[in-house]
Amino acid sequence: MDELLLSKIRLGIIAELLTAQWIAFSELQRELGVSQGNLGAHLAKLVAGGYVDEEKSFVNRRPQTRYRLTPRGRTAFSDHVTQLQTLLKASS
Amino acid sequence: MDDLNPEQARDHLEMVERILAQSQQRLCAGGEFFVIWGLFSGGATIAAHLIGQGIAPFGLLWVVAAALVACIVFSVLRGRALRGTGGRESLVQREFFNVLWLTLGLAFVVNVAAYRVFSGIASAAIWSFAETIVLLYIAMHGNRRAAACGVLVLASLIVANVVPSQDAAYVLAAGMVAGYTGFGLTELLVKA
Repeated sequence: MDELLLSKIRLGIIAELLTAQWIAFSELQRELGVSQGNLGAHLAKLVAGGYVDEEKSFVNRRPQTRYRLTPRGRTAFSDHVTQLQTLLKASS
Repeated sequence: MDDLNPEQARDHLEMVERILAQSQQRLCAGGEFFVIWGLFSGGATIAAHLIGQGIAPFGLLWVVAAALVACIVFSVLRGRALRGTGGRESLVQREFFNVLWLTLGLAFVVNVAAYRVFSGIASAAIWSFAETIVLLYIAMHGNRRAAACGVLVLASLIVANVVPSQDAAYVLAAGMVAGYTGFGLTELLVKA
């Protein structure tokens, strides 16, 4: 299984990004209900693994960090979900 | 496969399904765009009709052209102002704007480039047709107001076909304003 996606929070981040062009940090935090530091740490791992792209910009003069899923992250998510389903089938 | 047990795998899969179900697939259409483009297309249709009937001077076309430029400038500036303020942009939202600009852009090009083919009332009907596509596209993503308004514009198109020819432009314009502007107003009211 994909090491990076074994974490439920990181898997949740990827699932959130799956249907989005991009999502801001604050929106991800709101959706996933995790602390700022926790989310930041998980996002840093996903960015380092090439699963997520990070983009910093200013919106209405306020800094905003937004994230988007990379093709590599999309493939990894798909493979990981397939493996989870296989594991469930094998156990039943 | 040793990393998660089946119970954890089920838990993770359920979370993924829940997130995907929640993040699907509502379109958030900017109401103000529909308001101004509905008013413009309705007004332009009546102006063209009045000019064609010799009731209004030919110079009114310049007013229509100025209104068109104003609508384009507003749309671009408002679109830039709204960009990034929502916290997220869904893929379906991006797809919607592609459909919106492609449909209205094609209607505009057809109006300008094929003015002999689509002359008179046909050039206005092209706009009704384009607006119907846009509204029904939004309706397909679960917006009942868009469905009702799209049907309204489509109905105006059909009614315009059977009323006396001097009234057809008014019927089309009424459909554009009631359907397109009406949808924009309801979107703004819902979000207010």
